[in-house]
Amino acid sequence: MARNIGKCLLITLAFVAAALPQAGLAHGPSRQKITETITIDAPPAKVWATIADFHDMSWLPGVTKTAGAGGNEPDVATRQLTLDNGATIEESLYKYDAATMSYSYRIDKVDVKVLPVNNYSSTITVLPAEGGKSTVEWKGAFYRGYPNNDPPAELNDEAAIKAVTAVYRKGLDSLKKKVEAAK
Amino acid sequence: MGGQVMDGQVKRRQGKPGKALILFAALCGSALLCRMASAAEAFITDQTGDEVSVLDLGLQHVVARIPVSGKPAGIAMAPDGRRAYVTSPEGKYVSVIDTASRAVVTKIAMPDTPLGIAADPAGGFIYVAGFYQPRLYKIDLKAGMIAATVEVGASPSGVALTPDGTLIVTADRDDNQLSIIDAKSFTRKGTVKVGTHPFGVTIDPQGGRAYAANVESNTVSVVDLKAATLLGTVAVGKRPYAVALAKGRGFSTDQYGGTVSVFDLSTLEPVKRISVGDYPEGIETSADGNSVYVVNWFSNEVWTINADTLAVTAKMPAGDGPRAFGTFLRETL
Repeated sequence: MARNIGKCLLITLAFVAAALPQAGLAHGPSRQKITETITIDAPPAKVWATIADFHDMSWLPGVTKTAGAGGNEPDVATRQLTLDNGATIEESLYKYDAATMSYSYRIDKVDVKVLPVNNYSSTITVLPAEGGKSTVEWKGAFYRGYPNNDPPAELNDEAAIKAVTAVYRKGLDSLKKKVEAAK
Repeated sequence: MGGQVMDGQVKRRQGKPGKALILFAALCGSALLCRMASAAEAFITDQTGDEVSVLDLGLQHVVARIPVSGKPAGIAMAPDGRRAYVTSPEGKYVSVIDTASRAVVTKIAMPDTPLGIAADPAGGFIYVAGFYQPRLYKIDLKAGMIAATVEVGASPSGVALTPDGTLIVTADRDDNQLSIIDAKSFTRKGTVKVGTHPFGVTIDPQGGRAYAANVESNTVSVVDLKAATLLGTVAVGKRPYAVALAKGRGFSTDQYGGTVSVFDLSTLEPVKRISVGDYPEGIETSADGNSVYVVNWFSNEVWTINADTLAVTAKMPAGDGPRAFGTFLRETL
């Protein structure tokens, strides 16, 4: 009897241990990356002028307000994007180079229901293309929204890639329209 | 980690220089053969691509691709270069690769998500960190199973060994510490607090110091292993991942910085920051100490840095999402 209880307890403990969520923001899963590009019929300087202000994300559809401080100074500048559904994303600038027309930022705080990613960082760069045109390259590196093994479908690798790709596509298409319409 | 493999290879080379030279002289009928004779290979874990790509560092291109699923990340090269041990964090196993035949010969199941890995210089064991439990596992290679287990700090990431194989160090990321483990008794001798979120850890060829890259604090911690104390802290670029040692200098891969930060090992002062590819991660020094190889995760490239001049001397393509977290170089002769 006592042995049976012991055995039963062990089995119960094993089940409890298996059911417990893994602690901490650990990254057992692998980091994902995507690159999206677009060619814009305008010189690089003109395209860069549209996106160069870290505190102006009006070119990204769905962003209704950009607030923040620190100008374009890496490791100082932060911004808070307010989306049309009221959600916010907090970001900080960690690299900025006007000469190469590129800046890098990371997300400090976002609800995974808004963007299903963790540990997200990104670089946007304007490159010269043939015929005086520009190529804008938007790169992102991130982990999925669920930091442990066996994620639910809405927080898995595919969901993270899909969501970030959609933002970049929407942003780049809109940027192209905006810049090309302004000439 | 770099020191351990480097040391093993140096020893191996010193053991039979005459024989090798005679062989080279006999074989060197063409310039190509001479070039190949001095060549080495990099075994790169391409995490996104679910493979290990074999990069011929002389020819500067990928010569083989070995399918390894489960998002391979960590790698430990056996000191004799005949085997490479690869962790698959999402597959929960370690693949044993025969480096000459480019084939996986064994898969060892792990009870936990494996990441960091190191190979015992004597060839009998590998040491694998289980990320969640968190434990370090000693795997008997002959038996193909876990021989011993020791508890370490939270989220153990990098694993390194002293060149004599007596001490093992784990970078316990979420506890901001290194654990120092006695290899023979497989017990933890102590811990040393370092910077925030140490990830890669490298031990020097003398076995005296460990260098840990602290991802969150943008520093490298220098630890005296015998005294189990922190010797100093070096400021490096953003999000450092791992460290290599060459020519009296340390080299850290700075993921967000897109740089390799070089610092002096005696003064612990910064020397230079070298621009490399996007999100550099794995880094290791060649056996002769003349080159440092940098694996760029985002841009899918391996770059070579001349350890003397600190100039970038080669850019080579790898597979998709290369990490090469650990020791990944071997000499082909």
